[in-house]
Amino acid sequence: MAVRAPVSASGRLLEGFRKWYYNAAGFNKLGLMRDDTLYENDDVKAALKRLPENAYNERLFRIKRALDLSMKQQILPEEQWVKYEEDKKYLEPYLKEVIRERLEREEWDKK
Amino acid sequence: INNSYHWPTKPIRHLCLMKLWISTTHLLSFLQTITGIFLAMHYSPDISLAFSSVVHITRDVQYGWLIRNMHANGASLFFMCIYLHIGRGIYYGSYLYKETWNTGITLLLLTMATAFVGYVLPWGQMSFWGATVITNLLSAIPYVGDTLVQWIWGGFSVDNATLTRFFTFHFLLPFTIMGLTMMHLLFLHETGSNNPTGLNSNTDKIPFHPYFSYKDLLGLILNTSLPTDPSHYSSLTYCETPTTLHQPTLYPPHHMLNQNDTSYSPMQSYDQSQTNQEEYSLYNSPFSYYFKYLPYMHQNNEQPQFRPLTQILFWSLIANLLVLNMNRSATSCKIHSSSSDQYPLFFYFSKFYQSLYLLQVHSKT
Repeated sequence: MAVRAPVSASGRLLEGFRKWYYNAAGFNKLGLMRDDTLYENDDVKAALKRLPENAYNERLFRIKRALDLSMKQQILPEEQWVKYEEDKKYLEPYLKEVIRERLEREEWDKK
Repeated sequence: INNSYHWPTKPIRHLCLMKLWISTTHLLSFLQTITGIFLAMHYSPDISLAFSSVVHITRDVQYGWLIRNMHANGASLFFMCIYLHIGRGIYYGSYLYKETWNTGITLLLLTMATAFVGYVLPWGQMSFWGATVITNLLSAIPYVGDTLVQWIWGGFSVDNATLTRFFTFHFLLPFTIMGLTMMHLLFLHETGSNNPTGLNSNTDKIPFHPYFSYKDLLGLILNTSLPTDPSHYSSLTYCETPTTLHQPTLYPPHHMLNQNDTSYSPMQSYDQSQTNQEEYSLYNSPFSYYFKYLPYMHQNNEQPQFRPLTQILFWSLIANLLVLNMNRSATSCKIHSSSSDQYPLFFYFSKFYQSLYLLQVHSKT
């Protein structure tokens, strides 16, 4: 998730806490990335429609695998857990764009 | 997550499986209706006859003791299932289905109202004073409070008019609940059920049989075995009507103020010690405020079950409610002098949970 390594002590501390929190959340043990767990409101649904096909298919696979594991009360082997450093916010650019467009539309409609 | 310490053993995991509680609730609702109808065949809603009619049901009617105790204990089991159902909804973020959630809150309030008016019907000491205290809460409303209370009473105190109309409401409200339950399910079927991961499962549905048919069968077996267990019918169980006093006195006997009743808010220990009812009304509002506005407090896209701090907050809320519940029957009315109650009450009333939850749901991490 980190783009560049933090240089200050407080930055390293914060990064350490973020990494701990990421692992404590537990979705990585089901093979999910953070953006897979976003609640599908209207904005997220619109952003999902803009995903490239391969990214969407990979997302579907991860979700299907997580649902299956959850139903069986299991988690993945540790070597298959998604690492904090490997997690990609693949949906974030599209989501930001959708939200920006919605806000612009709402602002326009107010006039 | 499902393999964390919250799921220690396989049998407990299976017992905690989500739909078990609501299928049990549905069956209990049916059981309550049937036992209630049979009780209504022998009950008399008149202050001179009510108590003795309940005694008659218990002693003379064939299996009347069983029907009466199933109805009384079934109500408590009903509420336990509902609280588990609500707890599941909070933990897994099911409140995001707003229409389903709001109809559910209405159902909870109607169920509590039904239980309250039903508790009055045996016309024992707890029935009378419970009715007096709770209806008097409405006197807190400015200007019209006293008039409203007397209108509900049908007189200047809880008396025969009150008993007869409470019997009417107790008979009518369950059918209203049934209708609203249909609406609750209708809204749920618009979106489909949630699941422990909170993910959209439309691509991965499973057939009703054998998964849910066997799960519902387990609920049926538990639901028919638990209410008929005679070990629940001792004198220390729920909603016990005192047999020594037939007519309500002018003042509540001191020892009667510690009876056990699980159908209401865990704040009942606090209720019973309250002399200032306006204070009670004000303090009880965080409870309903929290439930009612929970969907609207959730402003980000993340699932609550994947946030460790939210999980800690949820379980500390449950622990707080359990501590308050345990303290209800264990202590005397001097609740303010007991530090074992003051700290849980402080956390409950201080909007501690709401503010922390707000921090969580508004977090950008």
